[in-house]
Amino acid sequence: MRIGLLTEGGYPYVSGDAGLWCDRLVRGLEQHEFDLYALSRSRQQEDEGWVPLPPQVSRVRTAPLWTADDDGVSHGRRARRRFAECYGELVGAVCAGAAPGADGPSGCGSDESADASADLADRFGSALYGLAELAREEGGLVGALRSDAAVRTLERACRAPGALRTAREARVPDLLAVTAHLERALRPLTLDWYGDDGLGAADLCHAAAGGPAALPGLLARHFCGVPLLVTEYGVQLRSHYLGLGPDAAAPAVRALLGAFHGRLAAEVYRRAEILTPGNAHARRWQERCGADRARIRTVYPGMDASRFAEVGESPDRAEPDTLVWVGRVEPAKDLISLLHAFAEVRKEEPKARLRIVGAPCGPEGAAYLGHCRALAAQLFPDEAEGAHAVGDNPVSFEEIGGPEAPTLPDAYAAGAVVVLSSVVEGFPISLVEAMLCGRATVSTDVGAVVEVIGGTGLVVPPRNPRALAEACVALLHDPERRARLGAAARARALELFTVEQNIAAFHGIYLRIVSHCPVRRVVLDASGEPRPFAAPAESHVPGRWTGPTARVLPRTAPGWAATAPVRATPLAAAEGA
Amino acid sequence: MTGVTDVQDDGYGGGDGLGGESPGGTDLPGMPSGAEPWDSGAGERPGIGRTSPQTPSASTSAPATSDPASAPVPASAVARPAPRRGADPVKALLHRHRELCERAVDPLEIAAGLEAHGITDRTAARFRHRDVFSLAEELYARVPRSSGEADPGTEPLPVPRVRPGWVLLTLLPGALGAATTAGLRLTHGHPRLLVAVAGLLALCLAARAVLRHGPLAGPSGTRAWRTTSATRAWTVWLLGYALFGDGLLSAVLTGGPDTLPTGAPDAPWPTAVAPVLALTLACAPAAWCAHLLGAGARRRLADSRGLEEFTATARPLLCGTFTLFLGTLTALLLLCGTVLRQPAAYAQTLTLGALLLLARLLAVHRHRRAPVLALGTAAAAEVAALALPLTGRLPGCAVLSVPVRALVNACGLAAVPALACGAAALALLFHAGHTLTRASAHALTGALE
Repeated sequence: MRIGLLTEGGYPYVSGDAGLWCDRLVRGLEQHEFDLYALSRSRQQEDEGWVPLPPQVSRVRTAPLWTADDDGVSHGRRARRRFAECYGELVGAVCAGAAPGADGPSGCGSDESADASADLADRFGSALYGLAELAREEGGLVGALRSDAAVRTLERACRAPGALRTAREARVPDLLAVTAHLERALRPLTLDWYGDDGLGAADLCHAAAGGPAALPGLLARHFCGVPLLVTEYGVQLRSHYLGLGPDAAAPAVRALLGAFHGRLAAEVYRRAEILTPGNAHARRWQERCGADRARIRTVYPGMDASRFAEVGESPDRAEPDTLVWVGRVEPAKDLISLLHAFAEVRKEEPKARLRIVGAPCGPEGAAYLGHCRALAAQLFPDEAEGAHAVGDNPVSFEEIGGPEAPTLPDAYAAGAVVVLSSVVEGFPISLVEAMLCGRATVSTDVGAVVEVIGGTGLVVPPRNPRALAEACVALLHDPERRARLGAAARARALELFTVEQNIAAFHGIYLRIVSHCPVRRVVLDASGEPRPFAAPAESHVPGRWTGPTARVLPRTAPGWAATAPVRATPLAAAEGA
Repeated sequence: MTGVTDVQDDGYGGGDGLGGESPGGTDLPGMPSGAEPWDSGAGERPGIGRTSPQTPSASTSAPATSDPASAPVPASAVARPAPRRGADPVKALLHRHRELCERAVDPLEIAAGLEAHGITDRTAARFRHRDVFSLAEELYARVPRSSGEADPGTEPLPVPRVRPGWVLLTLLPGALGAATTAGLRLTHGHPRLLVAVAGLLALCLAARAVLRHGPLAGPSGTRAWRTTSATRAWTVWLLGYALFGDGLLSAVLTGGPDTLPTGAPDAPWPTAVAPVLALTLACAPAAWCAHLLGAGARRRLADSRGLEEFTATARPLLCGTFTLFLGTLTALLLLCGTVLRQPAAYAQTLTLGALLLLARLLAVHRHRRAPVLALGTAAAAEVAALALPLTGRLPGCAVLSVPVRALVNACGLAAVPALACGAAALALLFHAGHTLTRASAHALTGALE
């Protein structure tokens, strides 16, 4: 099977975002052929080069998103009119208000408004594909998107009745900024990736992120009927909102760009065959933006479990009264609350110790760490065993690599209970690590914590030191329960959060997509007539039933269905989410 | 075990919310690389608390709304007075996130911001909402939107600054031209040739520097090699004609040329040094005019509400700067003519200066095709004016030289370059009146980020 892997500012580049994940995926599914289509984010990224690629990557095509060469084609009158129509439709759908949230499950819900929003989504999609067809047939889209006609079309759309109220206040600089941003966002439309020698030859497009990375996949689906799989570990639309804060641009610009990215996300979610969010949070955003629940499969990010195997499987060698916190030191981790909680723990368990393992993150983190140290010194004076011993503080601040905790698994292994005290958290990686180490955990109910921990640890409300302390004391008093929870946590983490389950889940999804919606290609003979039976029915069956010559394109990869049986459990677990 | 919710369900059902991730950092798909957290730099998301306004120390001491209903109050705390809480819990939340809510452009932005502050669906349930999205919708609906007034926090468009670097640089060609002229006046024979060659070389380098820095610099990015080299060739030809053309044309019409130009004032093939010197000096006013046009257009962009309004205000600006340049060039011509005691050749030099300025302005604002065309047409007309009398010397072709002779007899030698450059400059002025007065010509090339 040939898979077109679409990334933006990501995988083959050294400084890529999701590099490790994509690398594991490509290496783990070596029975498939991968074509990489990468959009680079900056010149610096391009200069830094690629990571070494495994042999199953047969081709890499890259294109810059940070610059675009005007190909010098100037449109004739008909092409100009066509461009104005398509672009007018596009910006009309963007300006038309009713952000994609309104057609989500909790929108106003009446049939009329649902019809109207579906109509808008259709308009946006057809305008997008119209522009792509124009770029494919005539070229010159970059120049046209920068031209005065584009700005004028945008102004007309903003002033049209029924446009967003904020858009109606757009001034000329705002219009120019939006035009420039749209030109940048629509650059994938001008690429030459969508021919039969490019994405058209793939059996499946796998976009490693939403937004710009998925746009080539949308076009490949439109031009060649290649099914699209979109993996989102973080929601692009949400990061767009967070990145384009109030100080970054005028309200009109933010409103228009937000609407554009919302519509683009909705179109991606509508057209994708399967969406694989990385956790329930991403899934909720996708559903909010109009994704069909039936096509969402949560695939948890995989972590390398082998380095924690030794700690996880060996008998407990932790000191019985030690609490461990591991992570990056920053204000969102709420160490202050942890210290207050530890003060309560000490009232019940005078021999308890707290080890805070982690390096500060940035100058803010360093200042916060200093603050925490001062508070710890204030709350817990140094104490010694006897009159002649040197005193020590029950709270110690350490870093990985120090004498106390030479490696990360050692840090976890030293604690009887691992504590997570964050007030803001995404996917709690340190919690998963603690689970892999077989530790009993107490965590605050933030982010994906509940989703990750399941029933295998204690969860307390955030910003509640007393509750945190009581949970810790309960576990410190009960070694048997600790062992039970730790074993359950390790089993759960091994089942859900390993690299193997991640790869197996994607393998299953690939097979499922290819068997449900195979690409139907019409093969032409030398005289341009369609050749009957060129793509026999067997070629749509997952498995190599015919010789390699029977495929449309010469395939050099080994049979992909003959190896790696799919494990049903992780997928079933993901579907249960 | 009071105060602790021992979660028994499988935890990932029911659409339970995942709360805030770090802005930018988390939502970028760097997450799955998390197997090697923070010691390899690839794991836990950097900067999670970067935008969290509530330092935990503040939040622990002010649990006004954070005391969760889901957590049973510990037995020891039952006797405490009930936490301060009004009848409307959303109001407190609104107060805390007032800036976020006031400046948000749609509910999803509020939802994203709330999640970045750690509010999850379970927090939203305390405000009697199903999820963060509906909570954000209520907040969005309840906040009075400031409308109409421009956001003071946003910079409209950066106006180009006057930098001493390019100001001094634009004076360089003029200075070099003056030095070369003086050198030509003071030397004879071989040294004069050397001075002329060295001066030309230096002038070329200086002109190149002026066209790469400051307001006369073209837009960055890849440029088409063909248009650039064509523009360069035509410009050199037009300047060369201004220097030697009139003498050559008169020689051609009277049966010459018999000698090469020597640069001496009374040689048989005179060289028009004064106009060219004035043109090199005019680099500085040209740069200032381009700067005035660019800065004025940016200012008008920020002030205007619509594209039509901008065009209406930009047209006088363009005319004004153009007239200013012509006036300065006239004064420079007068000065050079007086100092060098040469005819100033107003007509051909003013039209040539106008043509070159307009061509450069258009190229600076990303319109490259029209300048090449206009410069090429003017140069071709001058080539034809020289070639036709020469062809007329062939037997039977005398007719060909008639139009040039008639023109020269009627209006003088200056009519040829003046007509050629004047027509091209008029066409370019017309074109510039359409293109340079549009807002898109003055947009920043870079995108928003």
